[in-house]
Amino acid sequence: MAISTHERAELRAAVHDLLQDGCTEADVRRVMDSDDGFDRALWHRLADQGVTGTLVDPEYGGVGLSTLDMETIAEEIGAALLPSPFISSAVLTTTLIQTAGTADDQARLLPGLAAGSSIGTVAVTGKRGTWTADGVEVHRNSDGTLTGTVHYVIFGQIADIILVIAHVDDGIGVFEVDPGAAGFTRTAATVFDPTVRLSTFSFQHTPARRLGTAGWPAVQSALDLAVIALAGEQVGGARRIFDITVEYLKTRIQFGRPIGSFQALKHMAADLLLEVESATSAAQHAASVIAESPETADGAIALAGFTCAEAYLSTAMSAVQMHGGIAFTWEHPAHLYLRRARSGLQLFGCPAAYRERYLVSKGA
Amino acid sequence: MTELPSTEQLRAEVRQWLATHWTGLPKTVDPWVSSPERVAWLEQAVDAGYAAPTYPPQWFGRGYPAELATVIAQEFSAVKAPGARQDKYSIPANTVLKFGSDELKTAVLHDFLTERARACLLYSEPGAGSDLAAVRTTAVRDGSQWVINGQKVWTSGAQTSQYALLIARTDWDVPKHKGLSFFLIPMRQPGIEVRPLVQITGESHFNEVFITDAVVPHANLIGGEGNGWRVLQTALAYERSIMGDSGRSSRNKSKADSLVELAREHGRLDDAAVRQDLAKVLALRELNKLNNARAKADAGQGTSSSIMSLGKLAMSGILHNEARLKTEILGAEALLAGADNPEADDVNFLSLNAFFTSIGGGTDQIQRNIIGERVLGLAKELEVDRDIPFRQARRS
Repeated sequence: MAISTHERAELRAAVHDLLQDGCTEADVRRVMDSDDGFDRALWHRLADQGVTGTLVDPEYGGVGLSTLDMETIAEEIGAALLPSPFISSAVLTTTLIQTAGTADDQARLLPGLAAGSSIGTVAVTGKRGTWTADGVEVHRNSDGTLTGTVHYVIFGQIADIILVIAHVDDGIGVFEVDPGAAGFTRTAATVFDPTVRLSTFSFQHTPARRLGTAGWPAVQSALDLAVIALAGEQVGGARRIFDITVEYLKTRIQFGRPIGSFQALKHMAADLLLEVESATSAAQHAASVIAESPETADGAIALAGFTCAEAYLSTAMSAVQMHGGIAFTWEHPAHLYLRRARSGLQLFGCPAAYRERYLVSKGA
Repeated sequence: MTELPSTEQLRAEVRQWLATHWTGLPKTVDPWVSSPERVAWLEQAVDAGYAAPTYPPQWFGRGYPAELATVIAQEFSAVKAPGARQDKYSIPANTVLKFGSDELKTAVLHDFLTERARACLLYSEPGAGSDLAAVRTTAVRDGSQWVINGQKVWTSGAQTSQYALLIARTDWDVPKHKGLSFFLIPMRQPGIEVRPLVQITGESHFNEVFITDAVVPHANLIGGEGNGWRVLQTALAYERSIMGDSGRSSRNKSKADSLVELAREHGRLDDAAVRQDLAKVLALRELNKLNNARAKADAGQGTSSSIMSLGKLAMSGILHNEARLKTEILGAEALLAGADNPEADDVNFLSLNAFFTSIGGGTDQIQRNIIGERVLGLAKELEVDRDIPFRQARRS
């Protein structure tokens, strides 16, 4: 369903208001100290708003919006530092079921994901964390079970729909594993960014059911959407911590004047604005191209993949530096943004890999 | 007011008109000299209302919003016809339209739009570069005219222009921003002497202009006495928005124009470090394009955008980074120059000419001040000469 620019602005405002109420800095700190690292009550409120069903067709209980709307929502989520499985469940799992699953799979799994009553995750990559086909370290045994270990599974502990990418005889397959299946254990990883929880999944001859016959291209399509959602989060987070920093430059007085009057800081702020605006353009462009002509979207996805991650990192790092001592404290929120920026820098592949993909898309 | 056409109606109208009227133009040698054929073509475009569609109808426009003007520009650009969007690109026309009297508009606006008359810019002085409000060229009222004395620099087109936009001091006893006035001065008169200036590239696009008892009619005072700074800010904004739009390419049109082709030809495409750098630099240019497109879309939605003010800063980063990487790809060949080494010549030229964008029209450092203060609302840098009579201000 295509909605107008005006309607998209309304969607943004609605999600913004909800998060302003339910995801304050105090909420983020409360949730990041909790066992699950996730606020289920807020998740249900977001589901009522249509956030979890953004990409799901109305016939399966979703709202059926476009990738542009998904990116818009992601910006608000990133700005609020919402600790949630939005990307892993509402984008990655949902899309993979759509690209790899049969009609039956979709009818069975999508309604719960859209309603927010199920939480999905996709176990993709081994220890190296490349999120590429050759980085997959699970294989299907001759008896159809799965064996192997998957790292960096996003919000893996709370997932009840578990998809696993595994090597099969002729390539890659997408599998569904029951959370209680034999030989499956999941362990929460100790994470640097407490707002994005990760798990290690281990499979020892674990029974699994293959979704359709799809191979790596279906996984790549789902990962591409996840990267755009992540880029949206990064743009939202970068802009929020940038705004916080600019405000500080206006109110912090040293040497008898606002520190923003010093060119050393003013010029950093100007350069950061260019980075934040460029990242915004990259994320929104990728969302728009993949909606209109996915077959030509490779360059746009790759551009967003490294531009947004690095813009967020440099904005968050500069924010700490520009605040000075106050931002070296746990109490100040700047490090929460820096942590989120640093986790986004690695998820779904590193900037260098996206630069390489970008260059290939340019015929080089 | 008449009803606005739809985008499709307008597109069809312009396409039809171009098909009937546009037959091409001979190549231009000096961008500051408009050939008779070019002037004749621009007259047709002005008469048709295509040159400055956002202007009001009594001043050769159609009272269109920017998005309709863009449609016209797209059709012109599709057949490579010049002359659309003069309402965006003509600095003298825009300045006169915004601040000039009706008498002045009647006298010069049509000539500026048709390029029958061109105007150069007499702003910078040897002692007033980044600190443009410190100009010392003086205008003294003498009956119905003003008498000008001083020295200007970095003036393109001074040898061929009929007019100049001039900023001069009309009052030395008020703070520096308040004693300035803006004039449209005729260039062809005995009191104005133009001397070409050779740039670091070896080219000569700029001049020094020495002004000795030159005169300008009082009717050509634009925006009122003492309001020169305000007029100048608007005129400079037009200039900056043009500089952010595109950068100049090389002069030999060698492979150095394309980073990827240059790297391929020099066997550097499989160098992992070069590949990473290449992606970063290519991305800068694409991101600038995306930013400009988003700014246009925002403007179309009626929301203002901070992106427009970032274009020039972005472009200087693009040009310096492209030139840096091209030099790295060339390696020792960059020691060479001249027509027998076209790639090295291009790359060396681009490396030096990048400073045209990072210094001209406000240095990158001044741009960052402007972005910080006007876009982000940060406090202004302390200026010790801001509130004292300019006569007492310290000078080098």
